[in-house]
Amino acid sequence: MTTKPNILLVDDDELYLYLMKKTIHQLSKDLVVSTFTDGEQAVEYISKCTEEKIDLPEVIFLDINMPFLDGWGFLNEFKKLKDKIQNDVNIYMVSSSMRDSDIKKASHFEELTGYVVKPVNKIELAEIFKKIYHENW
Amino acid sequence: MWKRVFKMFIGLYVPLVALTMYIFYSQKEKQIIALSEYQQRDAILKKNYFLEQCNALLDDTVYWSNLEYPVSFDPMGKHTSFMDRYIELIKEITDYDQFRFIDLHGQEFFRAVRNSADSVTIGNLQNKENHQYVRAGLALSKNQLYLSQISLNRENGIIEKPNKPVLRAVAPIFDTTQTKIGVVVINFKMKRVLDQLKSKVADTELFLLDENHRVISSSLHEEDLPYETGNVDNVFPIDLISNIKGITLDTTIVDDDHIWRLQPIVLNGTKSSFGSKSNLPSEIVTPSNWYMILEIPPRLIKSYVQPLLDSFITFNIIAIIGLFTLSYVFQKKKAEKDLFYKELESKNILLTRSKDQLEENNVIVNEMNNSLEIRNKQLSDFNYLISHNLRAPVTSMSVIVEMIRIEKNPEILNQLLPKLEQVSNSITNLTKDINKYVSILDSKEIKITNIDLQELIAEVKHEFTETLLEDTGFEVLINIDAWDHISYSKFYLQSIIHNFISNSIKYKRDDVASYIEFKTAIENKHKVLYVRDNGIGLNMERHGDNVFKLYKRFHRNISGKGMGLFLVKSQLDALNATITINSKEGVGTTFKLIF
Repeated sequence: MTTKPNILLVDDDELYLYLMKKTIHQLSKDLVVSTFTDGEQAVEYISKCTEEKIDLPEVIFLDINMPFLDGWGFLNEFKKLKDKIQNDVNIYMVSSSMRDSDIKKASHFEELTGYVVKPVNKIELAEIFKKIYHENW
Repeated sequence: MWKRVFKMFIGLYVPLVALTMYIFYSQKEKQIIALSEYQQRDAILKKNYFLEQCNALLDDTVYWSNLEYPVSFDPMGKHTSFMDRYIELIKEITDYDQFRFIDLHGQEFFRAVRNSADSVTIGNLQNKENHQYVRAGLALSKNQLYLSQISLNRENGIIEKPNKPVLRAVAPIFDTTQTKIGVVVINFKMKRVLDQLKSKVADTELFLLDENHRVISSSLHEEDLPYETGNVDNVFPIDLISNIKGITLDTTIVDDDHIWRLQPIVLNGTKSSFGSKSNLPSEIVTPSNWYMILEIPPRLIKSYVQPLLDSFITFNIIAIIGLFTLSYVFQKKKAEKDLFYKELESKNILLTRSKDQLEENNVIVNEMNNSLEIRNKQLSDFNYLISHNLRAPVTSMSVIVEMIRIEKNPEILNQLLPKLEQVSNSITNLTKDINKYVSILDSKEIKITNIDLQELIAEVKHEFTETLLEDTGFEVLINIDAWDHISYSKFYLQSIIHNFISNSIKYKRDDVASYIEFKTAIENKHKVLYVRDNGIGLNMERHGDNVFKLYKRFHRNISGKGMGLFLVKSQLDALNATITINSKEGVGTTFKLIF
């Protein structure tokens, strides 16, 4: 890995990943984006980072519905690794689901920074980045 | 109706009429007994009266017999003076019709015949030697008396008019030397006595008969001794005569609505002391005894019984009317009641029928409701599936379209356009999967049948036989002791079992002899089916929540769409069955289906 990614996208929808990357690229040429198509792969990556004491991406956009390990599963695994994580990680739940039960469930995870409904547009993204990076992006 | 009324009436009236008849007859009997007692007293009085009268005249006779007459007694000649005072006596005893002395040859030597109450004619002597009473009288010894029959007086053989019933008493007479000089004959007028006997206190009849049952006197006839006057019509009932024969005691006979009182008056041979106490008892000699008979005729009995009969009839008429009315009213009410009950019953039957109909309808409605609920649930699930899974590609598409709209760079446009195809593909795939889901839920009516589980598993197993089972030695074990039949949709259950077997084969472990076991049980009164395999298993901690969700896959290196268990659960949910999973990685998986 040559460059440390700033943003991690975890979603099984490859088209979504392409579009998100493209949108982020439009907003900033400096932000490095990395992607995984399921929660399991993302967990593997994060545990590898903690083992190698590499800083984690500042922002993770996490899909709920994914094969092998879904968003909730990822969050459970992330909880276990949290102690070993040194920098701040902002996790945003991104879902096409607008079901109350999902939103309620999300509120119980303190690891989550926010809940975003697909499609994520440029303005929303800009606001999130502003919050996290302030003017440094 | 009328038949029943009549039946009931008869049933009520017959005992009543029997009772009233019994009362009537016993009352009648009592009346007759009372009447006969009354008659008895009357009869005794009359008999005593008659005997008294007889005694009185016998007393008189004894008096004349006991007189001591002069020797060579000639009352019409030399002893006129002796006779004078006796003539005065004879004159005064008005019951004497004739007073005669008859000598031993049957020739009268004194004769006094009454003309009127205070005069007698002396003389006109007759020879009576041929008369029976004279002969009998001459045969008497001292202390004997003769009493003749009562007969009509005849003068010179001709019945004296008006009829004069007389009783002749004859006694021997003696002179001072105790030599029998003849007999004294007294004709007593009996009319007064007989009239007295016949006089009625009540409407009873009296008959005085002689020993030959000839009527001497009868209350039915004004004239006494009717047989003597040539009136041969015997007024006395002949059939009673046979009853009289041999009767020596007073007897009451109730016969044919008559009450007869038969009293023999027996004087012949009886002894009695008449007159002064010094006299010796005299024996009465008489050719005939008498019968005094009292009759209470039917009309009298009837007049006594009539009020009883009247009340009997009146009561019975009232009873007939009353009971008939009662029977009629009762039967009418009963008929109405029966009709009412009949109607009630038919209404009840109708009600029961409509109740049954309602219950049937209720069952149908319930069934419809159930199937509607199932459909509703399926629709809701379907709705979620569509909204959730279709949303992602659609939003992506809208983003792409927006990008294409604002993008000027043809190079980037060339990159974007194929992405639309990707969206289209994913929508097509999704549509296909949903179609599969819908076709499973929708292609068949949810038809519940009784399924033989063993048979069904065998059928499904057969689908795998060629490709997998024979080569790999994969075994399907069946243990269905607890139950082997179940009411369920055969199509669903077939699909469910297919998925389980398919999964077990797909996720089997290569280092062991793989199997899948179907085992039935009953838990909490529910049929339970355990499906257990010894495959690679699942991490329940990670995947427990997602096992039955669409597009969930848990094994990266094994192909699969993530639809099988989703469909299994849909098909179980649809018929209110539940499914749970217990699994351990490297050991195997057990599903528990509760029906």
